[in-house]
Amino acid sequence: MNSSNEGRHDDEAALTEFLSSLMDYTPTIPDELVEHYLGKSGFQCPDLRLTRLVAVATQKFITEIASDALQHCKARLSAPVKDKSKQPKEKRLVLTMDDLSRALREFASRNLGAFELLIGLTMLVIFQFVSAYGVNLKHPDYFADSPLTGMDPSSREE
Amino acid sequence: MSDGGKQSGVDNESSSSTKKKQKGGDDFGRSVSRIAVAQICESVGFQSSQRSVLDTLADVTIRYICSLGKSAHYYANISGRTECNPYDVIQGLEELAGSAQGFSGASDDNRCLSSSGVVRDISQFASTAEEVPFPRVIPRFPVVRTLKTTPSFAQMGKTPAGKHIPDWLPAFPDPHTYVHTPVWNERNTDPRADKLEQARQRRRAESSLLSLQQRIACYGAAVSVPSDNANDSKGKQVAENNPFLVPPLPYDSKQVSGVAIPKYDIAKKRFSVLETFAPAIEAAKAGALECRAIERRSLPSKRAPVHFRIGVDKKSISVPLSSGVLGNKSDSWFLRDDQKDDKKRRAEMILKEAMENPQELIQL
Repeated sequence: MNSSNEGRHDDEAALTEFLSSLMDYTPTIPDELVEHYLGKSGFQCPDLRLTRLVAVATQKFITEIASDALQHCKARLSAPVKDKSKQPKEKRLVLTMDDLSRALREFASRNLGAFELLIGLTMLVIFQFVSAYGVNLKHPDYFADSPLTGMDPSSREE
Repeated sequence: MSDGGKQSGVDNESSSSTKKKQKGGDDFGRSVSRIAVAQICESVGFQSSQRSVLDTLADVTIRYICSLGKSAHYYANISGRTECNPYDVIQGLEELAGSAQGFSGASDDNRCLSSSGVVRDISQFASTAEEVPFPRVIPRFPVVRTLKTTPSFAQMGKTPAGKHIPDWLPAFPDPHTYVHTPVWNERNTDPRADKLEQARQRRRAESSLLSLQQRIACYGAAVSVPSDNANDSKGKQVAENNPFLVPPLPYDSKQVSGVAIPKYDIAKKRFSVLETFAPAIEAAKAGALECRAIERRSLPSKRAPVHFRIGVDKKSISVPLSSGVLGNKSDSWFLRDDQKDDKKRRAEMILKEAMENPQELIQL
């Protein structure tokens, strides 16, 4: 019991220390934005450290998704070129909807929490519900307003 | 991080447009979160992105924040509090499965929140990730505007209109806001004064017209001007110098068609109406072409009258000005036919006065 109490104190000390260290770290998501949306959902806390905690947690979450998408993008870029006559692909890393949707879907499949269902649903709604209306969304649609239209989608970076 | 720009599909466009329609009031928060998300993507390693992707990620961010706040609030409420603890937040994070791989110790029932794996993950993240602050300063939003309330009776210092009305109620609006008072035209119209003023202005116009006529007629009839009038000799000199103002030929000698061009002479001041109108008067009496007395003063009447406008009014008093006008009838001597009849009448009155009172020289 005592050891667990001590452990708890240590943990609490670690937590307090972490929270205070949060004040040094400025998250990319601004405090005002976080406070606005937390206030919308009923979160009441005058403590700035908690909002920082939420901001950092959100940043971590988005970073994970973005890094997953980056991996997908890099995998596509480094894939062997099937067609020899085709020019080498652009080495620029572009965050496309394909990559993001794949990353989000994997994320949703990995986690079965309520939020992941929400995220997964977001992407599913976008892609699958609309396909029920007859729009094929495997690849981006054809737009005649760019010189790159009609080319292979994988080489169409932007 | 540059923006790729193009929408990647109709679905995104339609969904984002529907999203925009649904959440139209939250544009500011959305754009701020889009900027933040773009910065996060850049720090991850992306060099550019599609616009729809940023919108989607911003939406995901906002949902995440709202969801986290909701669950933290829920845990606080369950514990009987209204204000949230850090432990509430940690529990909320656990519920959202803070990391993609879950967090260590999730299967432990008696785990302590302080040593939660979530916290450790976050602290690890915060220590390793480089700090990318938001580029702009954002005000607290939404901006709360204080409503301008109607002051109460007590605040305005007024006593309410009845004893049944307490003074802490808002005051009644000012009577000028609801009482319609008729607006009278303050200007007094005096018809007699108006007519007098009108007549005076007409007289002034006519007098200036007459003076102009005299000047022109004086130059037009150059030689045959009575010598006792000193001013006319000056006109004669002017006529001699100017080839256009040569003395007119006597009647029947030659048909000429030149028209006298008047020279503006400021020095001329006083004229006698009688002397100026004398030719016209005699012409009116005797008939211009037959009368020899005014022959010398008149040019052949066959010349076309020269019309020019005096003044810039819309009603142009265009006047036939050549000396041939002397041969015309007196009532259209300096007025066109389309003028008002009372103006003609006034002109005739002036002539009559001049004729009837030859001694009384109207000095202009």
